[in-house]
Amino acid sequence: MERMSTFTGFLRSSSDERLGALLARRPDLASPSPGNLTSLAVRATGRASLERALASVDAVVLQVLEAAVVLDGATSAALQDAIAGRRDAEVARAVDDALTLALLYADQGPDDERTESLSADAVLRVAPGLADLLDAHPAGLAVEVSGPAARSGPAGTPTSPTTSLTSALPDDDEPLGAPARAVLDALAWGPPVGLAPAPGTTAGDAVALLVARGLLVRGSGRHVLLPASVALELRGWRTHRAVATPPDLSDAPSRRPETVAAESASAGERCVRLVARLLREWEHEPPGVLRSGGLAVRELRRAAQLLEVEEGEAAFVVELAFAAGLLAQDDDEPAAFVPTADVDAWTALDLPARWVALASAWLVTARTPWLVGSRDERGNLIAALDPELSRPWAPRLRAAVLRVLARVPGTAPSAQDVLDALGWATPRSVPPLAAVQSVLTEAARVGVLGAGALSEAGRALLPPAPGSAPGSTPGAPDAGPGAPGTAPGAPDAASAAEAFATGLAPEVGDLLLQGDLTGIVPGRPSPALEALIERAAAVESRGGAITVRFTPDSVRRALDDGLTADELLDRLAAFARGSVPQGLEYLVRDAARRHGRLRAGAASSYLRADDPALLAGLADDPRLADLGLLQLAPTVLAAQASTHEVVEALRAHGLAPVAETPDGQVLHLERTVRRARRRGSRRAFTPVASRTVDTLALVRRLRSSDERGTSDAGTTPATGASVPGAGPAGTTSSTTSDAASSGSTVSDAGTPDDSNLRTGPTTHDTRAPRSSAPAGTADPVDALALLREAAAERANVWVELVGPTGRPERRLLRPLRVEGGRLRAADPVRESELTVAVHRIGTVERADDLAGTDQEDM
Amino acid sequence: MSGPLIVQSDKTLLLEIDHDQADACRRAIAPFAELERAPEHVHTYRLTPLGLWNARAAGHDAEQVVDVLLEYSRYPVPHALLVDVAETMARYGRLQLVQDPVHGLVLHALDPAVLAEVMKSKRTAGLLGARIDATDVIVHPSERGHLKQVLLKLGWPAEDLAGYVDGEAHAIALEEDGWAMRPYQQQAVEGFWHGGSGVVVLPCGAGKTIVGAGAMAKSSTTTLILVTNTVSARQWRDELVRRTSLTEDEIGEYSGARKEIRPVTIATYQVLTTKRKGVYSHLELLDARDWGLVLYDEVHLLPAPIFRMTADLQARRRLGLTATLVREDGREDEVFSLIGPKRFDAPWKDIEAQGYIAPAECIEVRLTLPDADRMAYATAEPEEKYRLAATASGKNRVVEQLVGQHEGEPTLVIGQYLDQLHELAEHIGADLITGETTVRERQRLFDAFRTGEISKLVVSKVANFSIDLPEASVAIQVSGSFGSRQEEAQRLGRIMRPKASGRTAHFYTVVARDTVDQDFAAHRQRFLAEQGYAYTIKDAEDLGVA
Repeated sequence: MERMSTFTGFLRSSSDERLGALLARRPDLASPSPGNLTSLAVRATGRASLERALASVDAVVLQVLEAAVVLDGATSAALQDAIAGRRDAEVARAVDDALTLALLYADQGPDDERTESLSADAVLRVAPGLADLLDAHPAGLAVEVSGPAARSGPAGTPTSPTTSLTSALPDDDEPLGAPARAVLDALAWGPPVGLAPAPGTTAGDAVALLVARGLLVRGSGRHVLLPASVALELRGWRTHRAVATPPDLSDAPSRRPETVAAESASAGERCVRLVARLLREWEHEPPGVLRSGGLAVRELRRAAQLLEVEEGEAAFVVELAFAAGLLAQDDDEPAAFVPTADVDAWTALDLPARWVALASAWLVTARTPWLVGSRDERGNLIAALDPELSRPWAPRLRAAVLRVLARVPGTAPSAQDVLDALGWATPRSVPPLAAVQSVLTEAARVGVLGAGALSEAGRALLPPAPGSAPGSTPGAPDAGPGAPGTAPGAPDAASAAEAFATGLAPEVGDLLLQGDLTGIVPGRPSPALEALIERAAAVESRGGAITVRFTPDSVRRALDDGLTADELLDRLAAFARGSVPQGLEYLVRDAARRHGRLRAGAASSYLRADDPALLAGLADDPRLADLGLLQLAPTVLAAQASTHEVVEALRAHGLAPVAETPDGQVLHLERTVRRARRRGSRRAFTPVASRTVDTLALVRRLRSSDERGTSDAGTTPATGASVPGAGPAGTTSSTTSDAASSGSTVSDAGTPDDSNLRTGPTTHDTRAPRSSAPAGTADPVDALALLREAAAERANVWVELVGPTGRPERRLLRPLRVEGGRLRAADPVRESELTVAVHRIGTVERADDLAGTDQEDM
Repeated sequence: MSGPLIVQSDKTLLLEIDHDQADACRRAIAPFAELERAPEHVHTYRLTPLGLWNARAAGHDAEQVVDVLLEYSRYPVPHALLVDVAETMARYGRLQLVQDPVHGLVLHALDPAVLAEVMKSKRTAGLLGARIDATDVIVHPSERGHLKQVLLKLGWPAEDLAGYVDGEAHAIALEEDGWAMRPYQQQAVEGFWHGGSGVVVLPCGAGKTIVGAGAMAKSSTTTLILVTNTVSARQWRDELVRRTSLTEDEIGEYSGARKEIRPVTIATYQVLTTKRKGVYSHLELLDARDWGLVLYDEVHLLPAPIFRMTADLQARRRLGLTATLVREDGREDEVFSLIGPKRFDAPWKDIEAQGYIAPAECIEVRLTLPDADRMAYATAEPEEKYRLAATASGKNRVVEQLVGQHEGEPTLVIGQYLDQLHELAEHIGADLITGETTVRERQRLFDAFRTGEISKLVVSKVANFSIDLPEASVAIQVSGSFGSRQEEAQRLGRIMRPKASGRTAHFYTVVARDTVDQDFAAHRQRFLAEQGYAYTIKDAEDLGVA
């Protein structure tokens, strides 16, 4: 393959900077790192990698590539002429871009010296394999397949050589006639394929004439083709009518900077407040995790009510908290979504920093909250926090949409405007309008937008555009914020926070209390004031100012929190401009007077007697201290012990109590019969996909080991392979790739211990850590079940243990007990016993029929 | 810090009244924002579609509104709100009701798409006739009111430019001998007349009857006046005789007792809404003459059947009068579409500051129930609780003390429950007026009260409205219709006529502590508290020493 070798030569001759830029712009080439330039070249011309690279280029680069396919071996200048009709800086830029991406290469021969810059007259060709990915008719031209650098032509391209470029059109002395001209004109700017009219008609005759003259070529069936050479001549040697220009967004409605700043800040403040409110609620009453891994619709509705927002926004808030690592699924049984330890650090930050943590998490998360409430392909309702809600393209889409907005500061383009712009910026991967709309909605909610325009704070958070900062990998979806406030992928958190702060209403410590029991904070309340309001009043309206109303309920809440009436009034007075109105004072005092007049407590049983003398002394009797008796009234004692115990104890004390039913009937107490309520066995949170794969893999593995025995197990390489006789490569590799595709990183260095630890807030894959034990592992729940089963049956199992060095080791064991997170087992081969922590156990396989065969130490 | 106004995204406007520009700002926003609360520091206004459409009807446009908000706002105004203001205001008047010389009453659209939209709606079916062209469609004249109601509900309020029938001319003139229309009354009449039809909102005691008389003089046509009850009807008659050139013979009363139809006829809501054998038997009154003006007293009480009848009266000028455009049933939009937009509004405290209504002090007296009563209350059925609390026997003693404190001042004791009122009347030795009292007897007692012959009167809710007792300066409310805000305001209104002596009026409401009575009282007070009347709370125990 000559092309391939010249392409490799191009890479080889490229400067280090150029190669660095290539690897930065096409990160898929860099990881895993290629062995040498040849393998880099192979990888760079792979279909998937090319597709990915094409998805990122703009319309002009695409034009350049089309033109380069058509004019194979043109110089940069020739490409500029063909596209723009003149030398054009934009096209030159696009040529350079295509070269950087190695979608275009300079054919300088394989032996050229390494050059720092490409000469202007370098012959440019498209990367091998690229032409197949473009239209069958690039730039609407039917390109010939001929010449030395032939490629496998797409279906429908002509296979017969056509007339040469220069002599394609006839001289004037032999006019074609108007009908034939019309046919040529119709096909000139593509598509170059036409359906031949029926012979005998005027058009049919014209086509026949053109075919006869070699200006059209018969294709398959009744189709005729206009060869590229002819079309080019008709087009005046242009491949494109004009350079693609980005749509003009300057018509979009403009917004004043202070409006943008204020609205983005108020949206951001609201967003932070909603997240905080949600977390405060859920730290007390965490919602359960659905079997499928999401949040129940009922819980979402409750959250929406709590936050006083619509369910769509509630889903967004929940997902945002999750994406920011402030919310995670705990390991309890049954599992619940619980605020993480990071919440305390986050809460301690000031408002701008809290916002930056949320906004930057939003930018890079792969979660797509707007899909909550829609139905998946199986018709199931998609729940919030559903593990399936992650889309790797989501962060790229966000970055792309925001970059469009960043180009037109101070304007608020519509979703359609943004989509049009994306159609130019990335014509090969245009998102659906609904997704763009959703991103804009989310951006407005999180406060990256204000009044529809990108805020300064949002701009500061935006990852650098690809190409503008070589060496960075923009918007890596898995890079969640490592610690709040210092999120990776947030290039400038400090200036973002600063920009955000400028839009906030000034902080005030004033509360205007009024006779109608309302209060107004004429600005943004200071934290202390905010806390007081939250505690003691109901907020009626928010915005530049806050209106609150004091109600008996709200005051009671403050009293419940442990404030006394005087303390509350003092605090109100401290913030009040003027004195506390009389009505409010009465409200507080009335509420305090009523507060706590009813007392509730816990007791298990009671004793009552009509004769106070009978009860007198019982409460203080040291022999009855165990019962926890408490005198509530002269004729009533409460007890901490159960009715049964009380009755027994009193009988032992020489008294003659009887038990009674709630309605006062005497109950003849018999010994209580106890029953435990059986709890439904619930499976731990594991993605369905990996579970099914595991069982399949297990079956395959069992069968293969069955067939092949274990004799060749020693040849298994140490990395990751856990199966004796990993034999059919498909078994191992399929499980590996399954684990990888389920979102985890297959850490070849990671021990199971490591992978069971939550390493910082990851964005979308809570299930990953559990399923990402070494490749080929069984579900830990299944493994434990198997161990227990084996212990009960006194059966042998193959257990893969991970040693202190992280190296797996397979041993045949007879489990004795599994408890307290430890497995005690006998080793029948070594005739010894060992105890091992269950988290060091990788896979477990039944080994009845393998018992006694070789086992190896690795 | 600049700007007295804070614009919240929930469309409330907070006006800090201690600010230098507060007055200018209040004047600027008053045309389009509804005053919601007017307590001591910060007044709350709200932007509502009705308010914005009222402003449009009064000739303001969205640009002015936006400019005012931007000018006075302390912080950047939420963008969505500005857009919303513009969009809402743009909806008014896109449809117009006009008289077409050929086709008669026509719905004319400035925007054909809007016409298409409303014609597609099921709700306009039957109201619209044949379509003339892309922008015009014939309206059945009888459906003019219904159509306006429906269009308002659809969010496209129509501007009624179809004009009014002139009605039968009848000379009416004001006789300003020894008195003159106050400036705000004049403005109210002008505002109404300029707008064609609509509602004038003035505090109780601010002379709404004069505004009505002024409008009648302006119109100088036969007039139908709809009032709440017979006593009120007679007051209207007396007032008209006194203030205008009309004589007793020209004014007819159409009530349960009498059925006179004269050039000026005063009818009660009750007689109009009386059904005999399932039909409204007195509807002929509406067509009995070619009325040139229909006047609605206490528009906030307009019963639903009157709305229906009013829908048929759209060709006549309509004037609604009220102190509180707060309807407990939330039908403000029907008032807007059927009677007309608000044409004039003045905050109570403004009128008070000008001295046209008496300053009033509102006091809530909290009575701690004795243990026996508390026990009875605690074990009562829920539906009995309010009655039990409101009629607590301890209130008698409180009323007695209060009456004693204001000995010699004309005092009204107002309550809801007849047993309680009977008991009270006996207790303090006063006459009692309830629904059972004959009209003649009521007149006699009210007259005696006006002349100072008697200084104490116990009244039931019959005295809530339109009873003109200029000298009453103390009102003691012992019970009411649960949490009705407008009732509270109306009752306060009874004592707000400016006093000859210029003394402050006192409004007491006696409330049983820790009961639903207190909760209802809090709700009842909201309207007045929002109008800037701050209630002082006193403990009943402290009254003796006070």
